[in-house]
Amino acid sequence: MLICEDISFDIDGQKLFSNINLNIKPQKDLLITGPSGVGKTTLLSILCGIQKPTTGKITYNSIDLYNLPENKIDEFRGKNLGVVFQNFNLINTFTVKQNLEIAVSAIDTKKSIPFFNILDRVGLANKSHIKVANLSIGEKQRLAVARAFVGDPKWVFCDEPTSSLDDKNANIIANLIKEESLRCKASLVLITHDSRIQTLIKFSKILKLGDE
Amino acid sequence: MIVGITIITVSILVNQVTKETFSKNNPGLDAVVGAKGSPLQLILSSIHHIDIPTGNISYKNARKIIKHPAIKSAIPISLGDNFQNFRIVGTNKSFLKLYKANLISGTAWSQPMQAVIGYNVSKITKLKINKFFVGSHGLIDTGDVHGEQPYKVVGVLKKTGTILDNLILTSLDSVWNLHSVTNKDKLEITSLLLKYKNKTSSFSFPRLINKGTNMQAASPSFEISKLLKLTGNAHRIVDYLSVLIMILSFLGILFTLLNNINERKYDLAVLRTLGFSRWKLFSIILSEGMIISILGSTIGLIFGYIVYESMYYFSIVGRSLELGQLSFLNDLFLIWIIVNIIAFITCLVPCIKVYKQNIRSTLLNS
Repeated sequence: MLICEDISFDIDGQKLFSNINLNIKPQKDLLITGPSGVGKTTLLSILCGIQKPTTGKITYNSIDLYNLPENKIDEFRGKNLGVVFQNFNLINTFTVKQNLEIAVSAIDTKKSIPFFNILDRVGLANKSHIKVANLSIGEKQRLAVARAFVGDPKWVFCDEPTSSLDDKNANIIANLIKEESLRCKASLVLITHDSRIQTLIKFSKILKLGDE
Repeated sequence: MIVGITIITVSILVNQVTKETFSKNNPGLDAVVGAKGSPLQLILSSIHHIDIPTGNISYKNARKIIKHPAIKSAIPISLGDNFQNFRIVGTNKSFLKLYKANLISGTAWSQPMQAVIGYNVSKITKLKINKFFVGSHGLIDTGDVHGEQPYKVVGVLKKTGTILDNLILTSLDSVWNLHSVTNKDKLEITSLLLKYKNKTSSFSFPRLINKGTNMQAASPSFEISKLLKLTGNAHRIVDYLSVLIMILSFLGILFTLLNNINERKYDLAVLRTLGFSRWKLFSIILSEGMIISILGSTIGLIFGYIVYESMYYFSIVGRSLELGQLSFLNDLFLIWIIVNIIAFITCLVPCIKVYKQNIRSTLLNS
């Protein structure tokens, strides 16, 4: 279970958001919406252990995330969380397959990873040896999703996964995220200001940030 | 880095091996008496068998020196011929005792035209006991041979690690017979190798010889230390140069790594988001730097050793200075350790930069 208590974040003394409380049960979904600049991406960074909140506490199954040493936070993120970043954060000089392999090497798992199956599920099986720099936006988005789920995470965070895509590709990505979450039995936290997403995925909870 | 380590390795090996060789070749001799000329040339030709002799001296006059009360021992040597560039030295059996030489096989010479050969001579010329060989006139092989009077090998010496390994020893009579010197008053030798009874003679005796006769007395330790001082300056310049190259190599590693992580800072931040800890990235960057350093320094040492071995090989073939065997592995290992410790410290700079990287701001700025 993911519990956030009284999360707030200040930038240069200005409050970006405050008193955010969340409670996400296993295999449940949460949609966080809100207009641009309200702090959605910052909240995602906080939830993933990338950005420490100004105040508040985040616990994953009784583990106080920001009470862990910094190295352990990185390791915890690698082993338990899958993140699809808004700008993908893929390594452009690596091939499609290498991007998955490097993600697996961070997890330090001993089980063999069926890269072909994963890439097949996201429709990139025939592009495994192509460098990321040569992929289209939709393909990069699919690879980012595949990478987020490669280690069978318990919690998955997606930041604006459909906002730069057309309806057809947005539909493909939304279905992919939903299917992969179900396959991994992961809780899904999706952050977007894209109103199409609610028609594509049914969420157990919705949190609205800022005035909309 | 490879170039720096290669130069420094060769410099150290040659410097130390040269010192060791000069020291080994002199079995405690206090002076060498020979014809007037350069005292260093006399020492190099009579003890180290590098240079040509300054000339000959009368054996009659030399005998007077042998009998001088200040002299504990005096060994005459006569140079002039060679076999395949190995010098043939006419002397007496005390020469063998002087170098504490032992025979692998055979005996010492007992009559003229018998020879005892050094270890390297036997190895390279394939001469064995009871084999005959013909000496050539001069100290290098010119082809002008004394074909009418061949030498017979009667003994082969054990390896000594000194110049003795590269010499062919025979009696003085052999050399005189070969050069048809029959008049006892006209007998000549190249030089006398002396040991004093008392070290205080090292001041008075040379003066006596240098001023009172047409000969000169030279001190091996004094002349060789003068030579080493001269070559030492050259070595120091080479050492400074190699240290400069090393510093440039360290800076090269530093800037390469800094540039590398600057170009890859986005990728490194991505790796952090995937679960690579700060320490893991720190160790990856450190490993990259240390692989460059360890490979560079090891290849440099190997190159240096190859250059040294080549010089050693040519020193045998050319019968010049016997460089001796490699016995400075500890020094080289120490240099290797020091170089890699400095490289390790240098690598910490980019590693700390990676360790302190703020992933969120890096990703946002990218």
